[in-house]
Amino acid sequence: MAEQVERFEKVVLPHLDDAYTLARYLVRDEHDAQDVVQDAVLRALRHFEGFRQGDARAWLLTIVRNCCYSWHKSHRWDRSTISFNDDAATGVTDPHAADDLANQSSERERIQAAVDGLPAEMKEVIVLRELNELSYREISDVVGAPIGTVMSRLSRARERLAAALDDSSRKVG
Amino acid sequence: MKCADCVENLGSYVDGELPPEETAEMEEHLKTCADCAEAHRRLAGTSSRVKAGLMRYEAPDVLKARIRASLADPTRDEPPQRGLVAMPRGRVWPTMIAAAAAVAIVSSGLTFEVVRDRAGSGQTQEQVLSSHIRSLIPGHLTDVASNDQHNVKPWFNGRVNMSPDVPRLDSLGYPLVGGRLDYIKGRNVPVVVYARRQHVINVFSWPATGAADLRPQASSANGYHLIRARQNGLEVWIVSDLNLGELENFARLLNQSH
Repeated sequence: MAEQVERFEKVVLPHLDDAYTLARYLVRDEHDAQDVVQDAVLRALRHFEGFRQGDARAWLLTIVRNCCYSWHKSHRWDRSTISFNDDAATGVTDPHAADDLANQSSERERIQAAVDGLPAEMKEVIVLRELNELSYREISDVVGAPIGTVMSRLSRARERLAAALDDSSRKVG
Repeated sequence: MKCADCVENLGSYVDGELPPEETAEMEEHLKTCADCAEAHRRLAGTSSRVKAGLMRYEAPDVLKARIRASLADPTRDEPPQRGLVAMPRGRVWPTMIAAAAAVAIVSSGLTFEVVRDRAGSGQTQEQVLSSHIRSLIPGHLTDVASNDQHNVKPWFNGRVNMSPDVPRLDSLGYPLVGGRLDYIKGRNVPVVVYARRQHVINVFSWPATGAADLRPQASSANGYHLIRARQNGLEVWIVSDLNLGELENFARLLNQSH
């Protein structure tokens, strides 16, 4: 058992940031995301014997994704959470740098809002592709859908994002 | 290549998922067809904007500590403290009742009593609080990260001229996160770090020889709670944004484990 845990720590735990990032996009609240990831990691450990080879990252992300969906099912009332922006810049003294940062952060906010506005099945393929950089094959395994479906979701998601970003740029510009 | 085929495969091309021969055809077509080239620019632009603009998150130290603690004892099969992800209700309640009973047993019949003093106590409090807040900046929480007291306690040897108590309180819901060195009132001070759910608890201690004992007293500042005590020639400060009730319970457990 101790050996198993040691192997698990080596193989699976390096992907904790990816797991947490996916959970942040799928459940949003940071504390809920922590709970979901902890639950997912314990599940992964319980099923680790069944994991022989293949990509540990895609395997962990599959479990995280399923835990996110279970979490949504058990929180159907969908309490609205207010998340504060923890990546806001602080302590900037150079006014030009502050402007750059402000522009960057409003670009970030636009993109974040556009992605948040996507339906769940489009949001997850966007995050898995653009942030986690998984291949189509891996995304298909994680979300449990054929590659063709993954491709068409990705394509529709990008069309929506392009339209949303055009809109918000026009409003700002 | 026809435009319809091109448009259908643009996504795969942008994602580098197109086989080499089709990639070559695609590139040839994009050189000659302005409409498809424009569609490609738009798609590739959206993809790279999203890639660059989306936040990547780092798993917080507290989450890592919780995971380490549960891996150290995976048989415990601990349900998450909040959220109760996909736990059948029938299994949750007995666990919670058992936990509540354990807390009740632990909290009853104690002489350890915390005086709630909202006035605060000056410069030391300020320094301890600053250190706590600084420790919450990513990467500043621990110099030695371990949920094993046999790693944390020896780490302080030779770094400070005292050996802080590092009891293990995982089973009571306060996993050990690690330790670090800090600087309070002009000297190096050992800090032992625990967690409670997503909250960080910092425990500072230093020798206070000659000073009169001080019964534990609690104060609050900027949304943080502090508990301070002086006993057996040792001054201890406990700081967290955890609610005061649970922080007092933690202080009791710490005191009992001496």
